[in-house]
Amino acid sequence: MGTVEHRGRGAGRIAGDLGHVSPSPRPRPRMREPETVRIPYNRLPPTNRPPTGRPTPAPPPPPRRDPVRTAVRTFGEVLITLGLVVLLFVVYEVYWTDLVSAGKQKDATVALDNQWKGKDDPQRQDHFTGLGEGDGFAKMYIPAFGADYHFTIVEGTTAASLEVGPGHYTHTAYPGEAGNFAVAGHRVGKGAPFNDINLINSCDAIVVETQNNWFVYRALPKEEEKTGWAEGKGKEAQCKGVSVLGGEYSGVIGQQIVTPNDGLVVAPVPGKETAPSTGEQASLMTLTTCHPRFSDKQRLIVHAVLVKQWAKDPAKPNWTPPELKETV
Amino acid sequence: MYAWIWRHLPGPVAVRIGLAVTLALGFVALLMFVVFPWAEPLLPFNNVTTPQ
Repeated sequence: MGTVEHRGRGAGRIAGDLGHVSPSPRPRPRMREPETVRIPYNRLPPTNRPPTGRPTPAPPPPPRRDPVRTAVRTFGEVLITLGLVVLLFVVYEVYWTDLVSAGKQKDATVALDNQWKGKDDPQRQDHFTGLGEGDGFAKMYIPAFGADYHFTIVEGTTAASLEVGPGHYTHTAYPGEAGNFAVAGHRVGKGAPFNDINLINSCDAIVVETQNNWFVYRALPKEEEKTGWAEGKGKEAQCKGVSVLGGEYSGVIGQQIVTPNDGLVVAPVPGKETAPSTGEQASLMTLTTCHPRFSDKQRLIVHAVLVKQWAKDPAKPNWTPPELKETV
Repeated sequence: MYAWIWRHLPGPVAVRIGLAVTLALGFVALLMFVVFPWAEPLLPFNNVTTPQ
């Protein structure tokens, strides 16, 4: 019988090459002993290893290239990246397009100034023929928004035109004409010319400058101001010429919110399919933009009426109408 | 993903940093000049008109 070297607890209980003989405390008859064979500890079959009495060592950390770990980490990195992309889009929409549009607006203004200086019409009549999409033809000022609020209005309401500035609905009237001079403008990004037109109060001036004239439009009374207008706000100095419209125009108010497909707000008589002959039409101005902000669910509409026209004096090129000083 | 990119960038650390910044700026430029202008009309910020 061979002897097995071992350590720790369980001495005498080793099976292995001892077979299944239980160790006996009794001394056995002495037999011819074979030489002791040493089996290295680590060569013992695992089942035969004696418990060492120490806690089992922790399993080694998983290898670095674990596919599950890589997949989860990559997924997380993709999500973080997408979040950064969305943030970048906000920067693009709110700041970047403003910068791009500011450049285009500046170019359009310079072009318009040059055009106004270039040819001097002895009749001093405004002509709005031959305007191409995106061509500037007038400037608008809203003194209530500050002295620095001015935009060059361009022809057309395509996306490219509206990137330059407020765009004129091509089939509507031009500044000073009878009918409805309708202009659309962005409310978010792209210079956001109409960002705050919900803050235009009744009687606030919207001044439109053309080559030969200044036209002063004033916002109409709002729905809730209509009753008692003549005795109330209508008496204020700057409301001269602004009244609650009657007849066919009785539904036209200073500010309204409509559905996106309501094209009648830019009709010659807003809200009406039919219009009287040009000679009987009032001179209105209409601003349209999206509503609420950051949405296209509705459209915000501002209606104004022409109250005054100042012909430009070629002798005083730097003269501006007094309405421009109505900055609050 | 970022670790993978970093491992595959050649050269010493300084060169790698330079390449990484260039890659990031290129990605931002691609978004700003190609992807966002394309995606913008599909989003509801710019519809300010009504039919005439």
